[in-house]
Amino acid sequence: MSKTLKGITLKGSAELVAEFFSFGINSILYQRGIYPAETFTRVTQYDMSLQLTTDAKLKNYLTNVISQLKEWLFDCTVQKLVVVITCLETNEVLERWQFDIECDKTAKESSAPREKSIKAIQEEIRSVIRQITATVTFLPLLETACAFDLLIYTDKDLEVPEQWEESGPQLIDQSEEILGKNQVTWLLSFSPSSRELLTWF
Amino acid sequence: MDDMEDDTTIFSTLKSFKSFISCPDRSLLETEPAFGRSGLQNLYTKRVELEEAAERVRSHTSLLQLTQEKQQMELSHKRARIELEKEANSSSRDLQREIDRNRELLLQIRHLKEREEKANQELNEQVENNKALKRNFEELHKKANEKDSKLAEADQMISELKDETRRLNQQIQIQESKFSTQNLEIQALQEQLDVQRKKFQDVSQRYQNLQSSHSTSTESELKMKELERRLALQEQDSVIVKNMKSEVARLPELEREIKRLREENTFLRETKENNSLLREETEGLRRKLERVERVMEEKLKVELEKEKLEHELQAWENIGQSTGLNIRKPEDLSREVIQIQQRELNLKQQNYTLNSSIRSVEKTRTELMPEIAQLRAKAQEEQKKRENQDSLVRRLQKRVLLLTKERDGMRAILESYDSELAASEYSPQLMLRVKEAEDMLRKVQTHNTEMETQLSKAQEEAGTFKLQAQMVTAELEALKEQQVSNTEKNTLATAEEVSSLRQKIEELEAERQQLEEQNNILEMRLERHNLQGDYDPVKTKVVHLQMNPTSIAKQQRTEEVEQLRVECQRLRDRLRKIEADGVMTTDDTTLIIPPSQEILNLRKQMESAELKNQRLKEVFQKKIQEFRTACYVLTGYQIDITVENQYRLTSVYAEHMEDSLLFKLTFSVHGKSEVLQFAV
Repeated sequence: MSKTLKGITLKGSAELVAEFFSFGINSILYQRGIYPAETFTRVTQYDMSLQLTTDAKLKNYLTNVISQLKEWLFDCTVQKLVVVITCLETNEVLERWQFDIECDKTAKESSAPREKSIKAIQEEIRSVIRQITATVTFLPLLETACAFDLLIYTDKDLEVPEQWEESGPQLIDQSEEILGKNQVTWLLSFSPSSRELLTWF
Repeated sequence: MDDMEDDTTIFSTLKSFKSFISCPDRSLLETEPAFGRSGLQNLYTKRVELEEAAERVRSHTSLLQLTQEKQQMELSHKRARIELEKEANSSSRDLQREIDRNRELLLQIRHLKEREEKANQELNEQVENNKALKRNFEELHKKANEKDSKLAEADQMISELKDETRRLNQQIQIQESKFSTQNLEIQALQEQLDVQRKKFQDVSQRYQNLQSSHSTSTESELKMKELERRLALQEQDSVIVKNMKSEVARLPELEREIKRLREENTFLRETKENNSLLREETEGLRRKLERVERVMEEKLKVELEKEKLEHELQAWENIGQSTGLNIRKPEDLSREVIQIQQRELNLKQQNYTLNSSIRSVEKTRTELMPEIAQLRAKAQEEQKKRENQDSLVRRLQKRVLLLTKERDGMRAILESYDSELAASEYSPQLMLRVKEAEDMLRKVQTHNTEMETQLSKAQEEAGTFKLQAQMVTAELEALKEQQVSNTEKNTLATAEEVSSLRQKIEELEAERQQLEEQNNILEMRLERHNLQGDYDPVKTKVVHLQMNPTSIAKQQRTEEVEQLRVECQRLRDRLRKIEADGVMTTDDTTLIIPPSQEILNLRKQMESAELKNQRLKEVFQKKIQEFRTACYVLTGYQIDITVENQYRLTSVYAEHMEDSLLFKLTFSVHGKSEVLQFAV
C-alpha cells in the first residue's frame, strides 16, 4: 500500500535541501540494511546522530548525484526524487521512497531573503528524519540481497549530462502490493534563493 | 713633454689672470648706469677687488711652485737617462755573448745530424736481413706442422683400429653369454610345458565329472517343481471343496427365507393399493381446505371495503353540508371541481406570462447594465480629464503671473543697469539677458496657446460624450418601450419554448453533475498515480546515473553466477574422471582442492598390499612347484588331488596316464587318518 504522509513540508534553500537528501538517503540505506551496518559511521548533524557511509564507491556515487541535484534544485527543474530498492535475485522493485518537490519559482526573483533561525530549520529536518525512522518500523524485513537506485523526475526539456540516462519510473506492480512491497511518499517544497523555512502546515 | 705641459698650464693661468684683471674694469663700468645705488654696493665692490687680489697672489705662489717642480723633474730626468745608457751597454755585451754561443750550437747540431743519417742506414740494412731470416723460419715451421699432422692422423687410425678390435671381442663374449642363457631358458620352458600338459588333463577330467553331476541336479530340480505345482493344485481343490460344503449346508435355510419373503410381498402389494387410495382422498380434502380459507379471507376483505365505502359515503354526504355549497349529488361536485380547475388553468397561464415578461425585462436590464457602467466610467473619466485640465489651467495661470513678475523684475534690473552705468562694457551681457527673457516669454506664450487648444479639445470631447450619453439614454427608453410592447404579444408562443428550454437546462445540469463526478474520480486517480510515482511523459522525464549501484550489483551477480557455473562444470567433469579412472588426475592445474593425505596413504597401502599378495602368490607357486618336483624326483611318484580327500599317485615308470593309484584320506577330529586304497 502506498502511504502518503500529507502535511509534512520542508522548505529551504537548495543547499540545505540537497544536504538533507544526502543524510536522508544514508539513513534509509542504513536502516533498511542495503549495506552492512559496519560500513557506516556515526556523525552529528542537525543536533542528532546520523549514520553516514564510509564506502568509497558509494560516497562517490552519492556526491555525484547530490551535486547535480543541487544545480537542478536551484534551477527549479526537479519534480521528484525517488529511492528505489530492488531485489537482486528476482529483479523486482520492493520499495519506493518518493520525495515530491514543489519549487516556488516566484521566490527566485523576490526581494532580499529573510533569515529564520537555524534552530527552527534543524528542528524541521530532524522531524522528517524521525519520520523516516518511524516508517521503517512497520515495514517488513528485506531478507534477500538488495540494491538501490536514485531516480530524479525532471522537466522534459532539461539537458542532462552524459553520465545520466533516461529510465523508466520503476513502479511497484499493483497486484503485488499485498506481498509487502511498499511505497512511502513525502511532499517537499522549497524556494531556491530564500533562506527562509516557512511554517508547517 | 712634461715641460710642454707645464708651459701650457703656466700660459693658461697667465691668460686667466689677464682676463680677470680686465674684468673688474667692466664691472666697475657696468655699475655706473644703475640709478639710486648706495654705499653698500661700494663696499661690495671693494671686497670683490680684495678677493681678486688675493686670487692673484695665490696664482703667483702656484706659479713658483710649479717652476720648482719643473726643475726637479728635469734633474730626475737626466739621472734616468744616464742609468738607461748604462743598462743599454750591458745588454749589448750580453747580446754578443749569446750570438757566439748560438754559432757553436749550430755546428754541433750539424755533426749530430750526420751521425744520425749513418745510423739510419745501418738500421735499414739490418731490418732487411731480419725479414729474410723470418721467411726462412716460417717455411721451416710449415714443414714441421705438416709432418706433425701426418703423424697425428696415423695415431688416430691406430687408435680406431684398436677400439674396433675391442668392440668385436666384447660382442663375441656377449653373444656367447646370451647363447648359454637361452639354452637354460629353453630347458626351463620345456619342463613347464610338461607340467602344464598334466594339469590340463586333470582339469578336463574334473570338468567332465562336473558336467554329469550338473545334469543330474537339473533333472532333480525339475521333478521338485512338478511336485510343488501338484501340491498347490491340490490345496486349491481342497479349499473349493470346503466352500461347496458350507454352501450346501445353507440351502434349506434359504428356501425357508424365500417362502417368507413371498408372503410378505403379497401382503405389501395389497397395502400399497390401499395407500394410494387414501392419499388421493387426503389431497382432495387439502384442496378444499385451501379454497375455503381463501374464500374466508376474501369475505373479510370485502366486509372491510364495505365499511370503508360506507364511511366515505357518509363523508361525501357530509361534504355538502360542510362546504356550504349547493351539493346534493356527485354531479354537482364534479361541476364545482371543473369550475375550480378552469380557474386554476387561467391563473397559471397568467402566471407564466408574467414570469416570462419579468425574465425578458431582467435580461434587457442585465444587458444594459454593463453599457451603463461603461458610460458611467467614461463620464467619470471625462470628469477627471476636465478636472486635470482645470488644474493645468490654474497652474498655467500661476506660471503666467510668475513670469510676468519675473519680466517686470528683469525690466527693472535692466533699467537700473541702464541708469547706473555709462560704460559700454556690460551692455552685451544685458542684451543677452533681455534676449533670454524674451525667449522665455515666447515659450510661455506658446505653452499657453497649446494649453488653450487642449482645453478646447477636451471641452469638445466632453460635449460629444454628453451627446452620446443622451443618445444612449434615449435608445434605452425606446428599447424599454419596445420590449414592453413585445412582451404583450409573445406570451403564449414562448410558453412552450420556455418549457422546452427548462427541460434542456435540467438535462444539461444533470450531465454537468455527471461530468463533475467523473472529473473528480479521474483527478483522484491521477493523484493516486502521481503518489505512486506515475508521471506525464510530455512534461517530465525520469533520469538516473548510468553507473548506479543496482546496475553494478546486477553485473556482479551475473559474473558470480557465471563463475559458479563454470566451477560446477569443472567439478562435475573431475568427478566423472575420478569415477572412471579411480586415479587422481593431475592435469587440472586450475583445481584448488588438493588430494587428501588419507586417500594417498590408503592408496599406497592398497598398492603395497596388492604387491605383497602378488609376490606371495608367485613365491608360493614357485615353492609348491619345487616341492612337487622334489617329491616326484625323490619318491618316484607324482601326487595329485582329484576330488576332496582323494589323492592320485602316478609312478615315474607309468606307461599311460591311467595307470595310477587312488587313495582316500580323511582327517577325523580325533587325529586319526584312514587310508583306503583301491586301484584303478
